[in-house]
Formats: sequence, structure tokens, C-alpha cells
Amino acid sequence: MINGGKKAISLMLAMTMLSTVSACGKSGAAKGASSAEDGEITLRILENDTAKEKGYLDELLTAFNEEYKDKGIQAVDANMEEYSNLAENGPYGYGPDVIYQANDKLMAYAEDKHILALNREDFECADKIPDEAWNAFTLSVDGKQYTCGIPINVQEPMLFYRKDMLPEGWESNWDGDGNGIPDFLEDWSSLYKYSEEVVNTSNGEKYGLVAPCNDLYMMAEFFFSYGGYIFGKTEDGAVNSEDIGFAKKDAAKGMMALKQFSGIMSEECLDDSIKQSRYSKVADGTYFCSISTPDTYVLFHDRLKEVYQNEGLSESEADEKASENLGMVELPAKLPSSGDLTSGEKDIDTIVMGGVNGYGISAYTEHREACIEFVNFASSYDMVKKRADILGIAPTRSDAASDLGGVTSMIFDSLNAGHIYLMPSVKAVDQIWDPVGTLLSDVAKDAFREKKNETVKYADESQMQEALEGTSKSIYDAIYTLSN
Amino acid sequence: MKKEKTSEVILTYLILILVSFVFFFPVLWLILASFSSSGSIYDFEGFFPKGYSTATYVKLFTDTQMYDYPSWLRNTLFVSGFSSVISTVLVILTAYTMSRFRFRMRKPLMKTTLILSMFPSFMGMTAVYLIMINFNMINNLWSLILIYSAGAPMGYLVQKGYFDTISNSIYEAARIDGATNPEIFRKVTMPLSKPILVYTALTSFAWPWSDFILPNMLLKNRDLWTVAVGLTHLGETEFSRFAAGAIFIAVPIVILYFSLSRFLVAGVSDGAVKQ
Amino acid sequence: MKSSSFKTRCSYVIMGLGQFLYGQRIKGLMYMGILALYLWYLITAGIGDMRGFFTLGEVEADPWLGTAGDDSVIMMLRGILSFLILAAVIIFYLANVKDIKVTERLVGDGKPLPSFYRSLLSFVDKKFYVVALFFPVIGVLIFNVLPIIFMILIAFTNYGGNIVPPKLIDWTGVDNFIQIFSLSGIKGTFFKILGWNIVWAVSATLINYFGGLFLALLLNKRCVKGKALWRAFPIIAYAVPGFITLLGFKFMFSYGGPINYYLKAMGESSIGFLDIDAGWKARIIGLLVNAWISIPTSMLLATGILSNMNNELYEAAALDGAGRWKQFTRLTLPFVVFSTTPTLITSFVGNFNNFGVFYFLRGGLYLDDYFLASDTDLLINWLYNLSIDNNYYGIGAAVSLIIFIITSAISLTAYVNSSAFKKEDTFR
Repeated sequence: MINGGKKAISLMLAMTMLSTVSACGKSGAAKGASSAEDGEITLRILENDTAKEKGYLDELLTAFNEEYKDKGIQAVDANMEEYSNLAENGPYGYGPDVIYQANDKLMAYAEDKHILALNREDFECADKIPDEAWNAFTLSVDGKQYTCGIPINVQEPMLFYRKDMLPEGWESNWDGDGNGIPDFLEDWSSLYKYSEEVVNTSNGEKYGLVAPCNDLYMMAEFFFSYGGYIFGKTEDGAVNSEDIGFAKKDAAKGMMALKQFSGIMSEECLDDSIKQSRYSKVADGTYFCSISTPDTYVLFHDRLKEVYQNEGLSESEADEKASENLGMVELPAKLPSSGDLTSGEKDIDTIVMGGVNGYGISAYTEHREACIEFVNFASSYDMVKKRADILGIAPTRSDAASDLGGVTSMIFDSLNAGHIYLMPSVKAVDQIWDPVGTLLSDVAKDAFREKKNETVKYADESQMQEALEGTSKSIYDAIYTLSN
Repeated sequence: MKKEKTSEVILTYLILILVSFVFFFPVLWLILASFSSSGSIYDFEGFFPKGYSTATYVKLFTDTQMYDYPSWLRNTLFVSGFSSVISTVLVILTAYTMSRFRFRMRKPLMKTTLILSMFPSFMGMTAVYLIMINFNMINNLWSLILIYSAGAPMGYLVQKGYFDTISNSIYEAARIDGATNPEIFRKVTMPLSKPILVYTALTSFAWPWSDFILPNMLLKNRDLWTVAVGLTHLGETEFSRFAAGAIFIAVPIVILYFSLSRFLVAGVSDGAVKQ
Repeated sequence: MKSSSFKTRCSYVIMGLGQFLYGQRIKGLMYMGILALYLWYLITAGIGDMRGFFTLGEVEADPWLGTAGDDSVIMMLRGILSFLILAAVIIFYLANVKDIKVTERLVGDGKPLPSFYRSLLSFVDKKFYVVALFFPVIGVLIFNVLPIIFMILIAFTNYGGNIVPPKLIDWTGVDNFIQIFSLSGIKGTFFKILGWNIVWAVSATLINYFGGLFLALLLNKRCVKGKALWRAFPIIAYAVPGFITLLGFKFMFSYGGPINYYLKAMGESSIGFLDIDAGWKARIIGLLVNAWISIPTSMLLATGILSNMNNELYEAAALDGAGRWKQFTRLTLPFVVFSTTPTLITSFVGNFNNFGVFYFLRGGLYLDDYFLASDTDLLINWLYNLSIDNNYYGIGAAVSLIIFIITSAISLTAYVNSSAFKKEDTFR
């Protein structure tokens, strides 16, 4: 008996001993990564996961290290989680030197001075980038403006659709203005009409648009286009998070439109299912189109490619066919002012929520100048273009955007035309997502309640307005009632 | 004892099959998902994937540029193994002492630990993080082992309940034979506590398996992550890989269970007679 | 006698000096070493740390200008640590006083003093419990007690919201508590969640406990062949990390999941099991999923405990003609309940603070009648929303202190009145 017990314990020990050697060796090696040895400066760069996965980060680092070999600067991957908290790591010396993030995240750090304020003049890209993008990285402290990040690219929700599933003869039936673009990619009322037709002709097997209805980022056009906003501005242009705008102007009309549209979506739009299923369901044709960010283009593309491969095409053929048949455009540009999608109106501009991603420099770096060199390098025309090629992002550099053309320059133009409402660059933004997300999915669910003959919560605009005001108030409470 | 009736035997087996099904089915679903050829959770016909392949497992162990699963697995085994051994020793010592000895601070200690365990643990996480920063133990797997082992004695009650059922006469006999307390612990208590040792070792081995709040906070470098941290950071469309990773870390625990299971039911009373 | 009391008094001033003078060199040196170490610590860090505890920092850091300032949270932590160390030194000092008195008496009686090695051996034997509990207590002190003290103290500061490092944190007394009780939304939410939390903890504990016991008894039956194999199924379930199971179940019950797939295939409409207005549906799913995760552990435990039962008791009972049911209620149940009451309490506590289940199944929902919470959230989830999601560390700490007082009162009363606590020797 006793022998047996010992054997069991030694088994357990042996299992762990096996792993000991390597695990220990690694933890030792990892520690000294950021320390400078014999005059050599090492910069730790935190990029996002996609850039790493698709190999852009590698190219960037190799190119930089090649260029700066003689100057004794070396850049390495920070090897951390993309959202790891600089406020937690930086002060104690565990953070990266340069960090790539969306403007709301980066500027939340800036508020507590975890990332440095920079001089725009230090950067070669400065005058190529429009003011809208710079504003996303501007912080006002006591009436003074500071720039805390270098904008690289713009993000906004996009419509992903299947070109090969356009209805027969759409040129004559679905192109009222004869501009060669189907109406349902140009205005929401037509998209609604077309989606309804898809659902009806397929007996509910197939759908037109199915979008993540509980996601504020994707659905914000139903607020902003109708005059709603996130936070207001003070007289000197700073963000005023006491002024919460989800119930302002005609936002309730927008919500009625959202409710109406979700009624002809599949129920997957109500929870997080859609966020994963959209790729396969657009690929297998169950959904004609869905909404997502441009960096997910590869995911849609890969799924579609798989479908074609399973149909017997070779890899390169499938790849080509997928690129051919997968369309990515901006969301339809017009919405009905009445909030009734069946009215056929297309009289107001769609304003979507967007973000600007860019580089910030940690306030805890020991090599400030080298970091500026790095960001300058990473925001150069060549690197930004490469980034766009590999990752499909839309650059904020005007020269890169116009050279790339197509959708990229469309996004760039939308930003300039004010069709993209950028996430406010303050910490309080963190507190809007959950309350509004809950409301959005409840509004969408209401459409299904109607179908199942259950009690409807938001029957008319006034009830909707009340709900919006309630949500705005709970956001206000979340931000203010408990703060000191 | 009397033999059971045939009808009862059948009923027993029916219930057993049902229970096993309930427990195994979700795991089976995970296993199937890990063999799904498309890698997505939405290419399923209900519970079953449309196509099967082993590609995910190959990817899990070879495609380590973003998600270094082999390293995570090594780290997890390392942390679990050491904290299991150390915690088991500490817990058994604590439980035995609390059950066997009567001293002034005993009841206050028992009450205090009960109260301490009522505290929502994540509220103290900031403090734990700061302590580890002070000890310069961030990015170090030993910090996890230290915390898991140090916290383990708080859960001594289960083991104490076990020791409370061991007859005092065994100890007194040893005492009369002139054994000192440390000797009694080593030679009498340890052999008697096999089932509870196994239980303790298994549960404390499995704990780092599913904890991700602590390692997520203390381990910054991706290659130092444990499996739990790594899996939570997998991309959202990597479901097959997620499932495969989850299935694979269940294996060591199952092996451990099978190699230890006979001690689990080795009766204490039997053992006492044989001593 | 006079000189010995002088030596004794030496130890009152410098601990260990008396022992040293009496000839207990090693012991004396060890005591003096501890004292020296402590003095060194006091001068290099201790005094500053104690002061920092009260000021919580005076110079604000400005990373933009590169000025290093004070880090309030670190200062608080080091302050607590310095007081804990002081307490430890006082304990040593008292032990030293007690020890020197014993020595004095021995010398007075003319008895020889034990050598260091011998007194160490007898200490380990006689005070085995001190030796055995030394490391566990130290570990718990540093990694459980210290964080808890830290957190309790945070409840009396303005930490959170806009006031996070590098800004300096200040003591604010009971302001946080006043704020909690003056907000109507918070109070209502608190009691609603508390009610559900108690229902949840009681039912989850009972389900898991009796589920595990039932399984263990079933597998203990003589007619069951291949026990290890049957037992392996729950073990496999147990081996899959809990959060993965939870994510898996969340998916199964989602609109795009397999359950709704089959519902739709059968022509029914989909059901939002974990939806906003799921209410009790979601709560019951939570209970069942939690049972699935926890029953294997309680089965393992019950198996271990049953194996400890004396079979002779059953045989005697069978001879007396007791039926199976009677054997169960008269023998098995009292025995198992006795040796697992503490487990019941730990399990109750664990379920009361069960963060994972609803965080994974239904996180991120804020319902209308709740302040930053949903109807399935337990107090601990609410706390998480308050303090982590919304950064109100001070308020979160204050709420958790209130919760903590309530829950520990309940469980302490239950524990102190349980037979396992009162009559520990029943089955000896």
C-alpha cells in the first residue's frame, strides 16, 4: 500500500519535473527583455493580434531593425496580450514602450498620463493626416490641447455581402437611379425591402441582412444618423461626459427603425451567436449580408474559400472565386427620416460609429527619442501601405489612402465628410457599452415578441423615448453618482 | 449484506448509464468540435460537425507563433504539479492538527478561517498583485505556486472532517509506544489518510487548471501563460482549437485519476486493522 | 537570585540577552538576531512605511514630466505589512518574556538548563501544532489576510473613479458608506440581489451535495461492476476546466446553438434561454450547469468518506433486521452528514461567492430595475460590475464589506451551531 502511494506521488512529481526545466529557463530569459545591454536600445512594441497573426508585425520589426542597425536601436515584439493594461504594468516597468490601440483605449491612458504627449511636428506624417483623425488623439487639460497618439488607420462597420447572390436582373429591378450599384447597398429602406423579399421567397430559410443587434458599435448608425450622440461637447470643444446623447433629437425614431429591421433577421442577431456565425452563414449563403469591421475581411474570405474548396475547387481557384464574390462596402448611406423603413424614404445621411487606431508612447519608456523614431518609421508611407495591403485597413494618411483607392479611399472620404462619428476619447466611454448593448438587444427582441404575440415593450416612439432616457440616466449614474 | 434484487440491479445500471450520459455528452460534444474540419462552431448540424479532421490538433501543437499551446501546457503542468504537492502537505498538516490537537487558539482559528473564506477573492486581487510587484515576482511561474499553496490551507475543513472520523485510540496506542507527534504524523496519520490525500491532491492539482484571473494578472509574457489564460485569448473564430486545447488539458487529470483511484476507496478502517 | 533577576530584566529590554547570559547561547542569539533584523528593517524602511500608511503619499507623480511621485496603494500595502511585522515582533517578544521566566525558575530550582537541541526536539513534540501550523498561517497571513485588510481599508478611501494612480488617494472615513445608503437605487438592488443570492446558495449547495452523495452511494452498491470506469465519467467532466464548460453551455443555450437548432428543426420557435427577459429560465439553467460542474467533486469527497465507514456497523444492523432504508437514515446519513457538515458550509460559502457561473453565462447585462446588474447576478457579480467594470474600487470595497459582514454572520452562526463544530468527537 505504502509503495503504491509513493509511486503515485512520484508519478505526479515526474510529470512536473519534465516541465520544470524548460519553464524555468523561459521565465528567466523573458525578464531581461527590455533592459538595454552594451549601449543597445531595445524597444518593446505592443501591436494588435491581427497584425501579429497575419505577419505584418514581423515585417515591420525586420524593416525597422534593418534600418536602425547602425544606430543601436532594436525593436522587439512586447509579447503581451493586446489589451493588457498599461496603467497596471507601466508604472512597475512591465509595460511596452510603444503601443498600438484604438483611440478610446489609448486616450483613456492619456487621461492619467500613462502615455506621453507628443509634438506633431516630430512626425513626418503630420500634415498628411486630416484633422478629424488627429482630434481623436487630442486631449484637453486645463484648456490646453495635447496630442497623445499618432493616427494610423480608421475603423468603421462595413457591409459584407455576396456578389454572386445579387438577385437576377437587379440592374433593372433594383437600380432605381441607374448608377450601376444596387439600391439595397445604397439605402436602408431598399435593403429592408430586399431582405423581406429574401425571407419571404425562401420561406424563412434564408435572410437578407443579419447584423449583431446587441452591439452598439455596429448599430450606432441608428442613433447618430437621427441626431443622437454619445457625449456632448463643452464650449471649448472638450468632451462633456455629463451630457449623454442617446435619447437626444430623433434617436427614438432610429430605434424604431432598428426594431423594424431586426424583425426580419434571424434570432441569432439577439445574442453573441451572430458575431461568430456571420462568417460561415454569409459563406454558405444563409445570409445575403452582414455587418462587421474591415479587419474581419479575411475571416469572411477564408470561410467562403473553404466552401468553394469543399465544392471541389483547387485552393487557388477557390481563393480567387472567394475574392471575386465577397463584397465589402460601407453601410448604406441613406436612412428614412421618419424611422419607418417601409416608407421608402431615403432622406437623411447615415452616420456610423468609427474609431481611429494609432500608436502611443508609454510615459514609462526610458528611450523616448528612440520611440519617436520608431513611430515615425511605422507611420511612414511604405509601412502604412504595407499594413493596408496585409491587413486590409483604411489608412489615415491621405497619400496612402488615395493610392490604394477603392473602399479604402471611400472610408477616408467618409471620415472627412463627417459620416463617421469617432468614439469620444475619454475613459467614460467604457461605461456606455453594457447599458446600451442591453437596451439594443431588448429593442431587437421586441420585434420577435411582436411575432410571438407576447407583450410588446416598445410599441411606439414615446415608449422608446422613455427607455432611451432611462438608459441615459443609468449611464449617467454609472459614471457620476458613485464618483467622488 | 444481502444481495440486491435483479430489478434493482437493472434500475441501478439504467441510472448509471443516464448519469454517465449526462456527464459525458457535453464533453463528447467538445471532442467532436475539436475534430471539426472547418474550425468553426457554426458549421454544425445541431450537435455534430459537418466534416471531421485531425488538423486542429496538428495546428494546436505546431502553429505556435501566436498561440504557443505546448508552452502553456508545460507551464500549467509545472504550476499544478508543484502547487498540488505543496498544498496537499500544507492542507493535510493543517487539517490533522486542527482535528487532533486541542489548544487555546484552535476554535478562534477555525472561526477566523471560515470568515476569511467568505471574502470575495477578486476584491483582494489588487493587493496580491501589488505584493507580487514588491517581491519582484511578476512574470514568474513560482508566484502562482506560492499563492495557490499559501491559500490552500484555508480549505482544510473537508480534510478535517475526514480526520475527525479516525478513532483516537490509534494515536493513543502509538503514543504509549513512545512515538513523538512528528513520528505519529508520518507513520500513523499519513498511511491512514490515503483517500483524503488523493482527494486533496486531485482537487489542488485541478485548481490551476481552470483559474485564469490570477495567472492573467501575474503573467505578462504570452509564452508564460497557462492554458486557461491562453485559451481565453484565442481568437473568436478559433473554436476548434479552443475545444482541442480544452480536451487536451483534461487528459493529465484523467490519467492522474486512474492511477490514484484505487487509493480513493481504500478504506481507513481496513488500513487500521492491517497496521 | 538577584543576579538572575537582573539577567531576566535584560531580556525585557533586549530580547534574547537574558537567555544568552544564562548560557542558552543559541536561543539567545536567535532572539537577538530577530531584534537586530527588526531594528534594521525599521530604520531602512519600517518607519517610513508606517508614516506612509497615514499620509498615503504627498508628492503626486507626473509621468509626462518624469517626476517620480508616491504610489498611494503601494504605500498602503507596505504600511499594513509594517504593522503586521510589528505584531509578529511583539509576539516574539512575549514568547521571549515567557521563556526567560521559565529559565529563571529552572535556574532558581537549581535544575540544569536543556540544551538547544533537546529543547527544540521537545518543542516540536509538545507543541507540534505550532510547528505544523507555522507555514500555513504565514502563507494565509500574507496572501489572504493582508489582501483582505487592504481591501477593508480601501473602503475608507476615495480610491476609484477619477482618482487612480498616479493621482494620490486619501482617507475619507465613512463617506463611501454614507453614499451607499443615501442612494435609493443601490439599496433596492442590494436587497433584491441578496435575496436571490441566498436562494441560489442554498439550492445550489443542496443540489450539489445530495447529487454527489447519491452518485457515491449508487457507485458503492455491490452489484455495480467496474466502479472506477463508471466513476470516470464525472471525473472527465471535472477535468475540463470550469470556464470552458461554462462557455460551452452558454453556446448550447444561445440562439445559434444546437438546442435551438433542434427546436427549430422540430418546427418550434427558438427560446432565449439566457436572454434579457429569461428570468427564472436562466436561473435554473445556472443551477443545473453549476451542478454539472460541482457534483463530480462532491461525489469524490463522499466516496472517500463512505470508504471510511465501518462495515461492521452495517452487518450488525442487518442482523438486527434493519431494512435498507433504515440503514441509510440511521447509519449512513448521520455519518456522512456529520463528517461533511464543514464541507456543506465551505460549499455554501463557495456557492454564495460563485462568480463564474453567471459571469460567463450571462455577463454584461444591465437590467432596468437594477443598478448596474441583472436579475441573475449574485452579489459577487454585482461587486465585479461596480469595482472592476466601472472602477469604483472604494464603493465596491465598502459594499463587499457590508456583504461580508452579513454572510459571515450567517455562516458563522450555522457553523458554531453545527454538530461537527460542537461535538467533534462523535464518531471517534
